[in-house]
Amino acid sequence: MPRLNSAADLERLRKEILAKRDPNKLRVTVCSGTGCHAYGCEGVAEAFVNEIKSKNLQAKVDVRKTGCHGFCERGTVVVIFPEEICYLHVKPDDVSEIVQKTLIERKTVDRLLYQDTDGQKIVREGEIPFYKHQNRIIFGNNRFIDPKNINDYIAISGYSALSKTLFKMTPEQILAEVKEANLRGRGGGGFPTGRKWESTRNAQGEPKYVIVNADEGDPGAYMDRSLLEGNPHSVLEGLLIGAYAIGSHEGYIYVRQEYPLALENTTIAIESARQYGLLGQNILGSGFDFDVFIHRGAGAFVSGESSALMSAIEGHVGEPRPKYIHTSVKGLWDKPTCLNNVETWANVPFIINKGADWFKSIGTENSKGTKIFSLVGKINNTGLVEVPMGITLREIVYNIGGGIPNNKKFKAVQTGGPSGGVLPESMLDIPVDFDQLTEAGSMMGSGGMIVMDENTCMVDTARYYTEFLAQESCGKCVPCREGLRQMLRILNNITNGQGKEGDIELLEELSEFIQEASLCALGQTAPNPVLSTIKHFRDEYEAHIKETRCPAGMCKALIGYFIDPDKCLGCGRCAKNCPTDAIFETEDKTYFIDQEKCIKCGICMTVCPDKAKAVVLQDALYARY
Amino acid sequence: MYAKEQTSSGSDFQESAMADVVVIDDEESICEGCRQTLETEGFRAAIARDGTEGLKLVEQSHPKVVLVDLKMPGISGMEVLAKISEFDPSIVTIVITGYGSIDSAVETMKIGASDFLTKPFAPEKLIESVKQGIELGRPAKEAEVAERVAPPLEAPEKVPLNKQNVVLKGLEVLGQYYSLGFKERQFFDELRCLESEAKYHADRLGQVKEKGQAVLDIVHDLRLVNGIIQKYAFKKNALIQILLDIQMEFNWLPRHCLEWVSTRLNIPHTNIYTVANFYEALSLEPRGVHLIQICTGTACHVRGAAGLVDRVSSILGIEPGQTDSEQMFTLETVHCLGCCALGPVMVVDGEYYSNPSTKQIQEIAASCKVSRQKGEDYAQIEFSR
Repeated sequence: MPRLNSAADLERLRKEILAKRDPNKLRVTVCSGTGCHAYGCEGVAEAFVNEIKSKNLQAKVDVRKTGCHGFCERGTVVVIFPEEICYLHVKPDDVSEIVQKTLIERKTVDRLLYQDTDGQKIVREGEIPFYKHQNRIIFGNNRFIDPKNINDYIAISGYSALSKTLFKMTPEQILAEVKEANLRGRGGGGFPTGRKWESTRNAQGEPKYVIVNADEGDPGAYMDRSLLEGNPHSVLEGLLIGAYAIGSHEGYIYVRQEYPLALENTTIAIESARQYGLLGQNILGSGFDFDVFIHRGAGAFVSGESSALMSAIEGHVGEPRPKYIHTSVKGLWDKPTCLNNVETWANVPFIINKGADWFKSIGTENSKGTKIFSLVGKINNTGLVEVPMGITLREIVYNIGGGIPNNKKFKAVQTGGPSGGVLPESMLDIPVDFDQLTEAGSMMGSGGMIVMDENTCMVDTARYYTEFLAQESCGKCVPCREGLRQMLRILNNITNGQGKEGDIELLEELSEFIQEASLCALGQTAPNPVLSTIKHFRDEYEAHIKETRCPAGMCKALIGYFIDPDKCLGCGRCAKNCPTDAIFETEDKTYFIDQEKCIKCGICMTVCPDKAKAVVLQDALYARY
Repeated sequence: MYAKEQTSSGSDFQESAMADVVVIDDEESICEGCRQTLETEGFRAAIARDGTEGLKLVEQSHPKVVLVDLKMPGISGMEVLAKISEFDPSIVTIVITGYGSIDSAVETMKIGASDFLTKPFAPEKLIESVKQGIELGRPAKEAEVAERVAPPLEAPEKVPLNKQNVVLKGLEVLGQYYSLGFKERQFFDELRCLESEAKYHADRLGQVKEKGQAVLDIVHDLRLVNGIIQKYAFKKNALIQILLDIQMEFNWLPRHCLEWVSTRLNIPHTNIYTVANFYEALSLEPRGVHLIQICTGTACHVRGAAGLVDRVSSILGIEPGQTDSEQMFTLETVHCLGCCALGPVMVVDGEYYSNPSTKQIQEIAASCKVSRQKGEDYAQIEFSR
């Protein structure tokens, strides 16, 4: 690879790459994000390569393994350009048919197309409702590029924002532009990025550091990971621009060891950027030096907190420290440090290229741009969605997410991860932005959006988050360590049917104390899941405590499975599948569940034939009668 | 369980008056503690406060197991052991010892004690030791033991696989290791560790290499670690990265490697262990050949991950975070695997399974075992500690 020594070199390279590529050439893109990986996309891509080779189509068709397309529910996603034909749920066995029909005969394979609720087939990816209602600015490029190939990124005018800032803008102008755009931190807090950069730039002390926080610890959120996997260069470019504006020459990317693909792709991206001279000494001949290093995190939720993350990079235990002085003034090795989330950095090249005014045109008054959410849980279209700020939750859940599976009733949506709260149906129409969500008692967080239906117990949800946080609490400050443990104890009691009158009030009191007295954001926001569930679903708590009943039928101690002898067909399927042999045949050829042995796994209910539906879920109280 | 069967079968007065276990210790708290623990498990226990009383009791009740403290006023534990051996060599003796006298406890094992417990010990350990003692019966006498200490190298698989042999074998290897100049204190630490892990290693005893080879292996490990440290230019702040690399290399953090990191980087042990304990990705215990991860992220949780964890736990017989005794499986819960559409998800060695049924899990476990028997992926776990 030649080193690029000027902005003109970069443009020349871009032209060369584009000249070699025919935009009308057939191109098969196979989504290779983590979600599709789990479906076995490797096998699909391999099958395409082999099939195309055997049909001698190499000259006519390119195969590209791209980043995440976002529609994880229907993996493996395959899109064929230039027509943008989108096939879903593709298995290696389907490949030969696709090659024959679509690549050779130029027809579509209808059974693999998206089918909407009226049975209408949709060919183009962009017209599928899941995509149609999104505004995929940051995430959309994923599907055009192979994250392992820097040329793909350069081809879609990658690194042009960098060359613009290095040669046409002063650091002050960049700061002004980012401040003007009102970009706010996508990691959760929503702190204005421009102001953070400025305070790092103005802080005393050299060297200054910049950090990409990819320690995405929220259970059920994977958008930062996917972005880093699918388009690592956009994050690098944002980081470079930020470093230039701040006056930093050294950066770190903190990635979890558990994200092997993100690690691999980022490592390759850094290597190839170094070879092109986009990292290192005298970048593009501008005289600006900057290099970046990967720090692998060993997995601890609290290490995603800025001061804890810096402490981990220093080689210590990743525990937070009091932030009387901001990390932007005294951070890594006590030097001024600017830490931003993956998505925040990825927004920067767009703001530079298209201008603050364009960016401001998207979103609400105080929250500009788009936000990527990981829409998961009890939802038809699980996946990663990018929407403009200000869209309502209802639009996300129903128009993009396609509603709740199995005609169940929507109960709540949880945003903001373990620090956020739940929003009930009455709040579905609030616009999604930083301030509105906070006002509603939840928060934006890093973008987890977990949908819950009528069978999700809210007390159990609160217990789940509290257990997670109690486990992940570093134990440095007492309110968080002991307070969470006590809250967990109370919640465990309630879900086990041993709740007492006054437990709810005690939870509220403890919550207030933990919020006020904890050292870092983990503790300060830890009671949110409990408080918001109490606020919106107090009746569920009361049902658990006063009636020892779980309305959602989720808390094992409070439910029991029974077989209705009138409906039982006597097929014995339940008994065969029971893991603890708790089901036996009675004299009249029906089956009976021994409640002593039953572990309430619910398998009997799933295997019971549809025409019988003899297994019923009832409150455990009935077990005594 | 064993004792219960005995009680139910023997109903005449004479037998019920006898004790299964005699505890001889001059500390009242230990005696009482042992008795209570043993009785809750269904053993009949008798206690004696010194050697003379103890020997009398042994002669009267003819127990199966005798627990003996080494340091007692009057007759010493060693003498008591010798006398019991004279009286009836089939009685199993277990030595109770304080921290300082581990070396003499090892001596007692060489003259025929079947096991030793270091104070303070957990009730479960006591029970395990006693049950094992009863099951194995009294080990062979000196001559046979001597033969085991230096087993014929041609046929190592003939060595009976029990805790005593493992510990002895381990001691031998360790002796070699520490003759290289490690301190006594470290030696004892290793010994304790070795004891607790003996059962892990029992089935691998046949794989133990000869002394020279074992030392060479350790040197090989340390060279690898050295390479890792060099890669990070001996920077102290790279500690977490170094530990992660060691974890990837060995699948856990062996002690001798951590020792080496501490020496080379000049970082105190405490710092290394704090870091190793803090992070989930680092393991201070050997892990199984097959890693089973179950996602308990919120999306998987609302779709029933808890039930999946229960099912897998009950099939494998291990709780999350544990490794089974054969070191076949390690069960782990993780917070998000990034494939929420498949939830609840189980990942076995990189293969994804969406909400597997009980039958599927059993099949997966069985297929893992088959591949193990074929020796396809035999773990690289060394008996080198």
